Formats: sequence, structure tokens, C-alpha cells
Amino acid sequence: MTLRLLRNFVLSFGLLLLMAFPFLAHHSFAAEYDASKPVTLKGVIAKVEWTNPHIRFYVDVKSPGGSTTRWEFSGPSVNTLARNGAKKESLKIGETVTVDGFLARNVKNLANMKTVKSVDGKILLDRIGDQQ
Amino acid sequence: MNPFRLAVIVLLLSLLPACTSKSPAADGKPDLSGIWEMKKDRPCPKDGCPDGEISYQFLDIGAGLPGGLPYQPWAKELVKQRTAQNGKDDPASRCMPDGLVKLHTNPFRRKIIQTPGLLVILFERDATYRQIYTDGRPLPTEVDLPSFNGYSTGNWDGDTLVVQSIGFKQGDTEKDGEWLDRNGSPLTSAAKITERFHRVDHGNLEVTLTVDDPKAYTAPWTIKLNQVLVTDSPDLIDYNCTENEQDAAHVASK
Repeated sequence: MTLRLLRNFVLSFGLLLLMAFPFLAHHSFAAEYDASKPVTLKGVIAKVEWTNPHIRFYVDVKSPGGSTTRWEFSGPSVNTLARNGAKKESLKIGETVTVDGFLARNVKNLANMKTVKSVDGKILLDRIGDQQ
Repeated sequence: MNPFRLAVIVLLLSLLPACTSKSPAADGKPDLSGIWEMKKDRPCPKDGCPDGEISYQFLDIGAGLPGGLPYQPWAKELVKQRTAQNGKDDPASRCMPDGLVKLHTNPFRRKIIQTPGLLVILFERDATYRQIYTDGRPLPTEVDLPSFNGYSTGNWDGDTLVVQSIGFKQGDTEKDGEWLDRNGSPLTSAAKITERFHRVDHGNLEVTLTVDDPKAYTAPWTIKLNQVLVTDSPDLIDYNCTENEQDAAHVASK
């Protein structure tokens, strides 16, 4: 009995550990992005690649000093998005957006998107699943 | 009770078996045809799933097995190392084929087409396929050209299709075979995989999978992979990993 309880505890703990981390179907999330480094950026959408294994879009972000930096954002697969009702038209070139995401570990100006919002706060594109 | 209402209830009850039972194929065998996907039992993290939901078994094929997988010592060490490195060397990161086991657990959809003598499975992931011969031919003892999905034959055992596969591709060493999960559980060319496809009811397909790979595991192990019928769309959507792959160059262990 005690052994069974211990076994169940170890199994549950293992599953909790697995639950705690984000994942990507194509590659490990943690190998490319750092879930402990959130980032929020506002800028103008310059380019959209509605492709697999991940969609990518590029946002020109102006610094307070006036210089512009192009940020790259990676998102879900086209398949996942299509089945959750998202369309390429959700992201319009030239539109000013605010993107929440997580920074890449080893690449500058690259992040994984969490939410893309328009200037009036409307969610244009979102991660999938229960958000608490 | 109003006789009309009673008649409606009787009619609806008579339709119920059609909604829940498994319609047989032309040869009287259970029909496994349809679009299926892995039952996604892993809740999304609080920030949402970056790329949709999955099953625990995609990350750890031994999830739920008491004590985990019976790795040979070298395999145990390898999985420990791969896990510590965030699975950065997963061949899928380089758009290599998933192989038979991960084709069951990946989050993309698959279509089973059952014909007399041949069962075909089409997979969205890299628009790939499996062909399972059910024409009575024996499973060969070895194959000339190993492949990622192996060579498969199937026989019916009652209402369960039993599929056996051998001939899995491996690189120069035993460490260079397919990954069975994101943790990097290995498969070697010595493996024989048995899948028992059982359509439990209309909407559920249970695949009981046994991996017998004495080079990587101290004993054969068996798991259940639950597939659910997809009814929201009749279409597969091609997912070609090489279309715009830019991540392989960025992945790192820490």
C-alpha cells in the first residue's frame, strides 16, 4: 500500500513536471525559448509568413531614440491555427500591434508569440488552450 | 405518455446503436477508416499551449508505466543526457521523419483507409504514409531496405487488427536510431513493434503498442495509445516541416 502510494506520488509528480513546460510539436520549446523571460513589444507588422512548421511574422519596433529594430516572432503551426479559426488575415502588414511573447535563448530580436493585440486592445492572434 | 412522444423516443433509441457502434467493413471486419488524432490529455500550461495540445506520451512514451521504460544501461544514460539537453537533438527539429511510434503520438491528424488486403494510413506530418499488408503474406524475417516506419503486415484476431513491423532505420550506431518521444527514448534496427488496433466504439480507437527491442530495452514493454475520431472536418492539412524551418540553428541545451 505504502509502495503504491509512493509510486502514485512519483508518477503524479512526474506528470506535473511535464505539465509545467510549454512544448512545440516540431522541436523543444525550452531548447529555443526561455519561458522565464517574457517580453512585450509594440511595433508595425512588416512581413508575415503563414507557414509550417511555425508561422513567423516580423515587427518593426521603434526605440525611444528613434532607431528601428526588426523583431521576429514565431507562432503555432498553420494546422493548429486553422483548426482554431485563425486566418492569415489576422495579421495585416502595416498594422500597429502589441505582441506578448517569450525571448529566444540565444538569438537576438527573436521571440515566441503569446498574444498579438491591436492598438485598441483586441486580440488578433492567440496561443491555443486554457489561459488562466 | 403521449403516443406521438413515445414514438419519437422509440425512433431515437433505435438510431442510437448507429451512432455508437462500429460499422463493419465490406469483408465483415471492423472498419478502422476515418480521420483520427491522439487523445490530448495534457492540459496547457497557464500561458497557453504555444502549438496546440498534446498527450503526455508525445513527451515521454513511457508516461504512466510504473517505473518507466526498462532501458538498457546505455539507453538510460542517453535519455538522461538528451532530457538534460532539452531534447535539442531531436531529429524532428531537423525535420527528419517521426517514425512509426511518434506518428501515433504527434498532435497532427491521420487518415486510415481500410481496403481488402491493405490498410493505408496517411499522415499530415510531412504528408507521409504507412502501408500495412493484410493480404495474408508473412512478416519477413529481415528487410533489404530499412525505413523509418518499418515493413508492416497485419492479421485480424477477432475484432482486433494485429500489426507487426520490423526493418527500422538506424544510423551507424544504436544511438542513431529513431526517437520514440521528446525525451529521446531510442529505437534500434533490432526492434519488432506490434500494434493491436481495436475500435472500442464509434469514436475511439485503442492502439496497444508493444516494443520488443532487446538492444535498447531489457524487456518488451506495452503501452496504450488512445486515438479519437475527428468529426469536425473531412480533410487532412499538409504539414511540411521543411517549408520554413528556421529553428534547428537556434536550439540549444541551456
